[in-house]
Amino acid sequence: MKKLLVLMCVLMVGLFVFSEEVITLNLIEAFSSPYRTPTLNNIIQMFETLNPGVKINVISPPYETAYQKINLMVSTEQPLDIVEIGDWDLSALAAMGKLEDLTPYIDSWPEKDDMVEGVLEAASIYQGIPYLLPHGIFVKALFYRPDILARYGIESYPKTMPELYEISKKLTESGKNQYGFAFRGKGYPTAFIDIVLTSFFDDIDPNNMYLTKSGEIIFENPRAVEALNFYVSLYKDTAPKDSINWGWDEQVNSFVSGITPLLFQDPDTTGMLNEMLQPGQYKTAPLPLGTSGKVYPTFGFVGWGIPTYSEHKDLAWKFIKFVASAEINGYWSKSYGALPVLQSVYTYDPYFSSDLFEGWTKMFDDPEHYQFTEYPLDNENWGKWNEFQEKTMQQVLLGKLSVENCLKQWTDFWKDTGIK
Amino acid sequence: MKRKKFIFFLLLPTLLLISFIILYPTISGVMLSFKNYSLYNFQNIEWIGFENFKVIFFSDPFYINTIWNTLEWVLFSVFFQLILGFILALLMKEPFKGRGIYAGLVFYPWAISGFAIGLIWSWLLNGQFGVINDILIKIGIIEENISFLSDPSLAMFSVILVNVWYGIPFFAIMILAALQSVPDSLYDAAEIDGAGYFTKLFNITIPYIKPTLINTILLRTIWVMNFPDIIYGMTRGGPAGSTEILAVKMINTVFYESDYSKAAAHGVVIISILFIYTIMYLKLTSKREFSL
Repeated sequence: MKKLLVLMCVLMVGLFVFSEEVITLNLIEAFSSPYRTPTLNNIIQMFETLNPGVKINVISPPYETAYQKINLMVSTEQPLDIVEIGDWDLSALAAMGKLEDLTPYIDSWPEKDDMVEGVLEAASIYQGIPYLLPHGIFVKALFYRPDILARYGIESYPKTMPELYEISKKLTESGKNQYGFAFRGKGYPTAFIDIVLTSFFDDIDPNNMYLTKSGEIIFENPRAVEALNFYVSLYKDTAPKDSINWGWDEQVNSFVSGITPLLFQDPDTTGMLNEMLQPGQYKTAPLPLGTSGKVYPTFGFVGWGIPTYSEHKDLAWKFIKFVASAEINGYWSKSYGALPVLQSVYTYDPYFSSDLFEGWTKMFDDPEHYQFTEYPLDNENWGKWNEFQEKTMQQVLLGKLSVENCLKQWTDFWKDTGIK
Repeated sequence: MKRKKFIFFLLLPTLLLISFIILYPTISGVMLSFKNYSLYNFQNIEWIGFENFKVIFFSDPFYINTIWNTLEWVLFSVFFQLILGFILALLMKEPFKGRGIYAGLVFYPWAISGFAIGLIWSWLLNGQFGVINDILIKIGIIEENISFLSDPSLAMFSVILVNVWYGIPFFAIMILAALQSVPDSLYDAAEIDGAGYFTKLFNITIPYIKPTLINTILLRTIWVMNFPDIIYGMTRGGPAGSTEILAVKMINTVFYESDYSKAAAHGVVIISILFIYTIMYLKLTSKREFSL
């Protein structure tokens, strides 16, 4: 009995002494989805295999409440080592002062020179400091269904906003539940209305979408009246009435079912569409040009950051660097749908130069007509603006508020914020 | 005196626990409503007096609309839940074959989360792909899809309808339990006196179960007013704020603006309204008691 006890003690001590310490990193993602989270888990598995003794614990809150959960967790210093941050949330998170400045890490990262031009600068919107390393780029393009268009004798996608209206109207047969444009009415419709609105201008400030180059708020310019009237017509004449209540789910569902074969969306939609539609059943095209002959897309991004209070910052960076490496970034973008952040990925993987990416390729190759601009994301009224714009825009669509009155309210809103 | 002290010490642990889990968050929430605690302002949090309330009442063009929506939401929801729950309880009181299974089916909405119900119904009532529209077209009641959630005049009606569907079981359970406590001898005596169904209902049943009715209505009013789940799942308060009640506005303030103090101010407004309502309701209903 004594011998057995001694043997057990020796074994226990041995296990304690020789067992490798497992470090657990807590990662929270903001854009969880059945199409993306499994890819993230695969990448984590690869990382864990390459780094024995490291375990990554993934927290995947529902997409709708993820920003709130992340904000609260970071503000209350919950154990987190890697945080996913979207462009619209970056300033709010950075303003807390609880995100690590990644400059020293990025400076010593050899692949930084391979990053797509402008992405790192765009990701440094808050006081010029990179608080995250982007892992995906979002730029809206026009998605279209050639099969549905062909049924109506339409051979090509709309190249201008007036054409978008004409084609959409031609497609609209409400009796047959067939419409043209997949309208976005709720859940951050800002990005959609602003694409249409600014396309009526030719002098948008590249640093602020709501200002002209001369510093005037765009909503007080007469061109905005014309643009908003166009937007109302697009809804009334070419989109289902119900779309005033549509978010991403409904938009994409409607596109997949063919009810609305024209859609403005981000590249991450391709992940879902590739699963739900046959090859060739959908294509992408550049955003239609406005009456000004230009259109102003924005450079959206999402990336990983490190909380200042993390106890494993270097290890967290090791993971972030791993995800951003050309091979993993290619796999991640292909599977999930966002555009890769490294230039080399576009050349080594033919998928990113295929027909599916025609919309983005054409826009990137033509900076004269497709002029990238930025939202005032660092303005602390940004969140308030999204809700206000959504409500007032819906009032206009329902005929409860005049176009002129709405634009005045929008102008006043931004004047009150002291926009510059 | 000794006995009172003894009772006090027996209750003390419970009192302390309640103070901690109810009183502390309430006080903390009220204090928060007088500060400028928002996501953009973690470095410089200070007392700002009634500033949040001023913004809510005087700077929000949608606020009056939200108050009316809240009133409509609570009044219609509770009224129809009560009436239909009452009828259901009366039907369920009498034994019939398969009552257990039927009761299970009737009560099942109560077992599902409100947010999930909201999401499910938002798809059922969807103007393009919704099953309800499909059924109505197939049986020839309508010719074109109805925009249940996009038409402001129908949106409020739709969310209330779903809330009524959701809330009937609670009233039915409470009233059914109360009905089963009414002595049969009262009905027998009334029958001998020649009383009809409605005479018995209004002179025996309702007065007898009045305390249950009063408490259930009070509880449900408070819950319905604080119940944003269904609306949030179905419309998030839209279109154009036409289904936005105070509780949804509070969530939207946190969700869009990340302004926790302003959201707390909305919470204080809700608590104040409910406090005034509870006092008035209890005063009005405590005057007449049932007596045999």
